[in-house]
Amino acid sequence: MSAATPLDTPSDEPAPVPDGGRFAAPEKPFWRLLIRGAMFLAATLGIYRFWLATDVRRFLWSHTEIAGDGLEYIGTARELLLGFLIAVALLVPVNVMFFLAAFSRGLLGQVSGALALAVLALFGQFAVYRARRYRLTRTLYRGLRFHQTGSGWRYAVCALFWWAVIGVTLGLAYPFAQASLERFKMRNTYYGDLQGHFVGSGLRLFLRGVLFWAVVVVPFLLGMMFAIGEVDWSALADALRRGGDDVAGRVEGANAGAAVSVAVIGVTWSIIAAALLYPAFQSMVLRWWVSGLRFGTLTVTSRLGTGAVYALYLRFTWIALLCGAVIGIAAAIGFALTAIFDTVFGTGAVTQLLATAVAIGSYVAVALAYSTIYQATVRLRLWKACVGSLEFSGLEALGRVKASGAVSSALGEGLADALNVGGI
Amino acid sequence: MAIAGTAIFFDGLTSARRVVVVELASDGVVVRDAEDRDMLARWPYDQLDHLAAPEGVLRLGRAGAKTTARLEVRDAVLAQAIDDASVPVDRSKVPGHAGRLKVVAWSIVAMASLVLGAVYGVPALAGKIAPLVPLGVERWLGEAVDRQARTLLDKGGSDRPFECGSGQGETEGRAALGRLIGKLEAAAGLPIRLEAKVVRRADPNAVALPGGRIYVFQGLIEKSARADELAGVLAHEIGHVAHRDGTRAILQSAGISFLFGMLLGDFVGGGAVVIGARAVLRSSYSRDVESAADRYGVELMERAGGDPRALGTVLTRLAGAIHPGADILSDHPDTQTRVDVINTLAKPQAPSQPLLEPSEWQALKRICAGR
Repeated sequence: MSAATPLDTPSDEPAPVPDGGRFAAPEKPFWRLLIRGAMFLAATLGIYRFWLATDVRRFLWSHTEIAGDGLEYIGTARELLLGFLIAVALLVPVNVMFFLAAFSRGLLGQVSGALALAVLALFGQFAVYRARRYRLTRTLYRGLRFHQTGSGWRYAVCALFWWAVIGVTLGLAYPFAQASLERFKMRNTYYGDLQGHFVGSGLRLFLRGVLFWAVVVVPFLLGMMFAIGEVDWSALADALRRGGDDVAGRVEGANAGAAVSVAVIGVTWSIIAAALLYPAFQSMVLRWWVSGLRFGTLTVTSRLGTGAVYALYLRFTWIALLCGAVIGIAAAIGFALTAIFDTVFGTGAVTQLLATAVAIGSYVAVALAYSTIYQATVRLRLWKACVGSLEFSGLEALGRVKASGAVSSALGEGLADALNVGGI
Repeated sequence: MAIAGTAIFFDGLTSARRVVVVELASDGVVVRDAEDRDMLARWPYDQLDHLAAPEGVLRLGRAGAKTTARLEVRDAVLAQAIDDASVPVDRSKVPGHAGRLKVVAWSIVAMASLVLGAVYGVPALAGKIAPLVPLGVERWLGEAVDRQARTLLDKGGSDRPFECGSGQGETEGRAALGRLIGKLEAAAGLPIRLEAKVVRRADPNAVALPGGRIYVFQGLIEKSARADELAGVLAHEIGHVAHRDGTRAILQSAGISFLFGMLLGDFVGGGAVVIGARAVLRSSYSRDVESAADRYGVELMERAGGDPRALGTVLTRLAGAIHPGADILSDHPDTQTRVDVINTLAKPQAPSQPLLEPSEWQALKRICAGR
């Protein structure tokens, strides 16, 4: 389809430069890339992920057009693999320390768990920031790369502080945390020598989002508070401690029954509301974030439609259900075959090993299938919708940029991978 | 005349977007400004780098160059001509080529070596390191494991204390158990002091922790017909202590955690692979360790002057009570195999003098009894 659009045919330049974003990618090659990647992932027990991630980024970047020119991703899988290996080596002493601390008695042993979480969270946020730097320095636009300055440790401390505040305020601080962290990131982000900044206001996001909070979080909190207030805690603790056959009866006696049902209603409501409202929330946050991005005098706005986001999630649900039906039929056939196999060959060690391998293999296959569907539907379409909704003004700021900044190592990506906090 | 056409050029120094004329000279592409015809770049054919680009765009860079200059050709005829002229172009970065299969093949080799390392390397290494761990460290590990073990074993639900032996009628029984352990300990001559505790659990079993602590379950005492049967199981557990199997198990589990947890980790479904691999590996290590403890138990019983076949007898009796689980996940070898090995190892004319007097055995049986 892209070959037919005017931009892709040889035309007499200069054509009027479009001032928006465009993502004109055919979806079939992306599906093919992901499905092949999933098969290789299973075959290599995950080592292929560096190559798959690189392929996916290369695809998304190269089909993303900003004001008529495409992005280019110049990172390689080899860099990611090397970054990961270095990160694993760096984390060895940390893990050994935690392993030893877990066995020690007294205060050190007790705080070791909390300390481990805090240190790993700090490492995780550091990794997130440094991984962003890697991706930026591997992103080329009009022959110039982006880059990022600023201390990853400082970012990590700020991020942990804000996450703590979010926890204490039960999520109400989220908009202010986002605004503050985004300001830090963008003020350290450069396209060539053009510095970025972020003008999105935390208060504005708060005012737009507080209704979501009221609908999703408040019922949950009310349910919990009611439950905590209603239950006779000492009686409940006693009932659970003594165990035995009539636990249920004694739990009932602690007035837990009514409290539990109220709590369950509250939690159920919150889960359903969160699932139903998530697309609206996500598109709202995306609009806010994109519209706050600035590079010099270049301003960005986004008119990402809430309906479009709902549509892409619905499409994902539909395909996922279809896939679920196929998996269900396959599982039924598998069980039948296992039963036949059992009666013919008996339940020897080899059969058990085979059955275990098949069970784990099927689980991995199902997990990979859903991940592939998610990436090929939600992620691709969301990227497409987001890029397509971009509008720029002050594009002349991009005309006089000079090259600046050096490439950075992939250590951050490696850390993020080793700590399971990977982003894109 | 060489083929020529228009394209877009970025010089890698500024963001200026230039419309250029591309000429295909004999040795490379020549890039000239469309208006003033100044030469902007001259890239030899063998240094042209095909880069990721959307369909219908040929994006070129110069391989090995310091700047990131780019030439974007949208003219299909010109793109084809450049493609034809630059035969040895490096396409290894373009997905969908043999390079990928090579990566996959190497990764599978790497995984195979990881699995071999886990199956053979980790237990070998742990076996070498465990005897080197100082006894002080082992005792310290034992205390840490003890706390975890107790929370695992003590399910609660009983008004009596979990640990038996403190009651009025149990003093004699404790003394008898002490004598039994004493005899075995004297024969074993271990550097670690043994400490046996009877706990209120109905399953017939016993557990040895690092540092010399042995938990004897009440169910085992109940199902043992003679003192030597109990002693046989205790001798087996003392084998674990002597071989420092608890420390070895901790080292092994750390080794597998490292190999599989850190190196595999982060891909969808990877968690299941890690958990499955750990369970299978752990039980395979454990089966070897159990066989070694059986051999030790037989020898120890002979040295202590007891019946070395008693362990086989009690195992046979207990096997009927236990439901056979999945063999690859079971941490002990098949019971019949164990009994056969025990009977082969035991010296044929071993003199069998009961390790405890009948009255002592009766007293021992009363520990935890009367529930």
